[in-house]
Amino acid sequence: MALRELSSLEKYLGLKKPNKYSTQGDKKVPVLQNNNGPPLVGLVTVACHLVKQAQRPELLGDSAENRAVVQQWLEYRVSKLDVCTKEDVKTILKDLNLYLQDKVYLAGNHFTLADALVYNGIHPKIVDLAVQEKEQYVNVTRWFDHIQHYPGVRHHLPPIVVLRNRIYTSRHH
Amino acid sequence: MKLFVSEGNPHCLKVLAALEETGVQCDVQCVNHEEKVVPFLSHPALPALLLPSGQHLFSSDAICRYMFEVSGQESSELCNQWLEWEATDFQPALLQALHMAVLQGKGSEVPKVLQGPLNYLDQRLSKGITPYLTGEVVSVADIVLWAALYPVFSDSSLSLGEHKFVRAWFDRVTGMRSCKSAAQKVLQGKGLQGMKSYMQRQPAPQSSQCRDTHPCNS
Repeated sequence: MALRELSSLEKYLGLKKPNKYSTQGDKKVPVLQNNNGPPLVGLVTVACHLVKQAQRPELLGDSAENRAVVQQWLEYRVSKLDVCTKEDVKTILKDLNLYLQDKVYLAGNHFTLADALVYNGIHPKIVDLAVQEKEQYVNVTRWFDHIQHYPGVRHHLPPIVVLRNRIYTSRHH
Repeated sequence: MKLFVSEGNPHCLKVLAALEETGVQCDVQCVNHEEKVVPFLSHPALPALLLPSGQHLFSSDAICRYMFEVSGQESSELCNQWLEWEATDFQPALLQALHMAVLQGKGSEVPKVLQGPLNYLDQRLSKGITPYLTGEVVSVADIVLWAALYPVFSDSSLSLGEHKFVRAWFDRVTGMRSCKSAAQKVLQGKGLQGMKSYMQRQPAPQSSQCRDTHPCNS
């Protein structure tokens, strides 16, 4: 899965020369075989490397603050989203929903690598949500729908239907 | 800019050491473990940094990165790799180890839990020719990994086995003024017991077995 995600990212970044990957350990951590140096290990590490390779530094944030925010969500993806239990998912969605209340993207005013990686990590969770739950996390689904329609991002993942209009009366107001 | 920390919280060790090492100007406020600083998180998350823009950072690693970057040291790819390993592999093991040692009185089982990551760290350090993890100078990776390791490695009652290269690197970083001062502020010389009230408020770690059999991203 992580390797498909990286190959989607390569396509998004328009990298012509495909990189060589392998995986490491039970958790199948991606490893990039690097001709110019030692291999790079870890999804976030490799993804950041690809962004640099494609000379798209803005995808890692356009200021020191936004770069830190991007890194924070990248870490969140691999250390929280990827290992969360069924119960954790609800808290994660609730927190993200509040965070995204006044935001279009996870960091700053532009699409970044954080949007791409959190989108990929949350996709299996959103698949499992009932329509009613999707409405409960309306800011997450709005952001999710925006990212899945962002040119070149979705690639290997199936699109998820998100209703733009509420069909249930809101219980949370 | 304002940094919120709490006593006996091992993650605060990272950010306080990074703050002293980089000399970044920042107010520091000590709050209770339960204090809700980051408005969008359901569970209290400390340390937290309120950025000049009004955004919050709730990850100690991201806070350390930010401090190093504004002081002129951007993290290298090797640094990124160490930080990712720390967050995904080392922290889950450390959390379990601290839970055992501080709350369950099972310090004797800690070496078993930490052996894998410590062997990895030792092996990587044995191949290096530089005094620090990523080169000749201290980087954010050294501060973060040192602080993560400090509570268990500085406690001599835990027989963690011989990791010659880790020990040499650890002692080198412990000797730094910034690290000594941060350790004193957070643990106040009380060692593992200084973390008890913090650990009592943390959710019990998921068993590592459950983590391995149901990876969400496989």
